[in-house]
Amino acid sequence: MSIDIYWRIGTHGDQPSLRRRVTSRGEWAPVVPGSLAPGVRDGRRDGYSYVEHMADVARASESSGFVGGLLPSFPFTDDPWATAAALARETTTYRFMIAYQPGFLHPVQAARMSATLQRATGGRVVYNIISGGGGPAQLWWGDRVDHDDRYARTSEFLDVLKGVWGGGPFDYEGRFYRVEGAGLPEPLARQPFPEIYFSGSSKAAIEAAGRHADYYLSWLEPFPDLAAKFDQVRAHSTAIGRAPRFAVRIDVLARDTEEAAWDEVRRGWEHVDPSALTGPDGDSVGWLRSQSFVSWPVRHHRELEVSPNVWGGFHLLRGGPAFGLVGSYQQVAERLDELIGIGVDAFILAGVPHLEEAYRVGEEVLPLLKGRAHGRASGTAGPGRESSVSM
Amino acid sequence: MAASPEFLVTVPTRGDGREPGRQDRGDWRPDARRPLPSFVTDPRAGASRPSDHLAQVGRAAEIATVGGALVPFDPEGEEALVVAAGLLRQSRHLRVVAGFHPGVATPVYAAKFSASLQRFAEGRLGWQLDVDLDPAVARSQGDFLTGADRYARAEEFLTVAKGVWHEEGYTHEGRFYQVLAGGFQSPNSGLPFPRVHLGGTAPEALALSARHADVHLFTAGEDVAAGVAALSERAAAEGREVAYGLRVPVLAREDEDEAWAGVRGLWALAGAPGDPPGPDPRTGLWPGFATIGGSTPLGLVGSYETVAAGIRGYLDQGVTTFVLEARPAVEETYRLGERLLPLFAKEIERVH
Ligand SMILES: Cc1cc2nc3c(=O)[nH]c(=O)nc-3n(C[C@H](O)[C@H](O)[C@H](O)COP(=O)(O)O)c2cc1C
Repeated sequence: MSIDIYWRIGTHGDQPSLRRRVTSRGEWAPVVPGSLAPGVRDGRRDGYSYVEHMADVARASESSGFVGGLLPSFPFTDDPWATAAALARETTTYRFMIAYQPGFLHPVQAARMSATLQRATGGRVVYNIISGGGGPAQLWWGDRVDHDDRYARTSEFLDVLKGVWGGGPFDYEGRFYRVEGAGLPEPLARQPFPEIYFSGSSKAAIEAAGRHADYYLSWLEPFPDLAAKFDQVRAHSTAIGRAPRFAVRIDVLARDTEEAAWDEVRRGWEHVDPSALTGPDGDSVGWLRSQSFVSWPVRHHRELEVSPNVWGGFHLLRGGPAFGLVGSYQQVAERLDELIGIGVDAFILAGVPHLEEAYRVGEEVLPLLKGRAHGRASGTAGPGRESSVSM
Repeated sequence: MAASPEFLVTVPTRGDGREPGRQDRGDWRPDARRPLPSFVTDPRAGASRPSDHLAQVGRAAEIATVGGALVPFDPEGEEALVVAAGLLRQSRHLRVVAGFHPGVATPVYAAKFSASLQRFAEGRLGWQLDVDLDPAVARSQGDFLTGADRYARAEEFLTVAKGVWHEEGYTHEGRFYQVLAGGFQSPNSGLPFPRVHLGGTAPEALALSARHADVHLFTAGEDVAAGVAALSERAAAEGREVAYGLRVPVLAREDEDEAWAGVRGLWALAGAPGDPPGPDPRTGLWPGFATIGGSTPLGLVGSYETVAAGIRGYLDQGVTTFVLEARPAVEETYRLGERLLPLFAKEIERVH
């Protein structure tokens, strides 16, 4: 198995750097001179929207060696299905990893949308199945189902989606879904089923992932914690005769030298609002875990470096998860090799700004990867398989 | 006084072909495609995608100056919202109406998906909600609601979708949906809500349209005059105005002979017995379209002038949106743009 490396597309605008939280790409901040997609021409908006920039990021990722990109979904973002459907025909190899919460779409509809999109893209749809972080955002979406039941629903949803995929007729009667005589029409049923990346750190998540994940997907954590979490997932899966692969979503800040990388962090840190040093509301076990790796309060940015190059302060410089890698191109490549060594089979990398950093990471970091044989991290038990890297 | 008509074409979502049932375009029935002889170079293998044909239909509609395209809800065909997203992305003018039924998603999700498309395409997306599904089809889509409940849910679906669209902090506690402190924020707020197309002649359907439709779509053959009268009254009582539309298959040619020769040819190709029937003398509608691949039986056949006169008859009754269906879609869309639409240049000019 080769290693799949994705590059995220931000679905709610982007900043030109991590130095300041200014969203000049997209419509999320007032559109002024210097804004892009939409831009200002002759004093007026130029009629473009953020989708043009997302198309640029997709094409940049495609040409710099990534297999595709993750499109996140939150109340304030663009919708990943709509984005993938719009960009389907503007890329050739780029895989669209669509983040979505089962429960918002009916599984038969999700199957129909997916198969139509598979036909539009030539089979380039990948799922990031997320089950929601609870709290006000869950109610914003109109979803009152509680944490563990959301995973039960996710499981049923995927059962129905798989059930109708090959054609049918398929009957199902569950707690959340019921269908009778369901099935995709023949031409849609010929499509390959999308790979499933599955997120969630709670017990309920890990159980559901065991049944459904092709890839169990986690945010970056300190490597031993990540390895332990993978072990748990592996144990659950083995018990039911499955063997998921593992994927990690990682922000990368890589420069020629380590000093240059940390200097970039320092410049962003100068603008961090100390009141931002708390997490969001909700029931996400994954987020609570990520905050437990750091002892707050923190004064200096390097205090968030929990192990060499593993930095837990990205959420303070841009919206999103906390952990990522900071270092020289060589160091970042070595850390990625170590992760491969503890069993990681796929990466979803990201960096701000996504367009420019896609080129940088694709051209400077990925070519330095050596793979599993070289990445055995000390103190962690990896399966130690040989691997080649497909970017 | 006749109002200005607006024309949409119907996108074929189960493949398309020169003849009824051939469906070799759009990779629907690849076996139906006639291969080139082996000594002829054929560079197509592996180079085309199933969506190429849909894209071609969308471009044809855009180029042919047709106002819009309807992608119908069709459980046996491609999914319409995804198709609509692709058509919007590759056009500048075309308004694209996507068909779905209210059970496919939560209203918040349907609205959220649509807000992205409205931003990407400067507000050119429309919705066509299919409420009155065949019960077995509905169950195959996971929908077990029947009778008037379907309209109650559609009503709540549209209420909530519009609620989150227009109102930050929107809260709703209903029979089918709940939202707490929802509502879109910039840049997903302040966009035009998708133009809502509804249909049906049942009292519940008219009541729903009175409150929520921007366009009420009749199907050719329905009693349009009675429907318009009843719905206008109901809408007025809600303080609203609804526009009227008609879904109608057409086969229009240079002259009558050519049109009817076309009908006879398709009739024979479809393997239908005997001679095709003639048009209904009272309505002028020809009842055989379902046999030659139409999505509904009754439609207009004749010279461009005859078909235009049929459309004018509906214009006089207050119908302004015409969702035409003609196959094969690309060639016929070009034909409509060049030959039929110009016959309405006067009406269209008057308002522009
Ligand atoms: C890599 C990754 C990507 C995620 N992307 C999204 C997303 O796009 N939208 C979202 O609402 N939640 C996203 N989540 C969060 C999940 O929905 C869920 O809240 C989180 O995994 C916590 O689940 P848990 O309580 O089981 O740990 C993501 C999680 C991970 C690990």
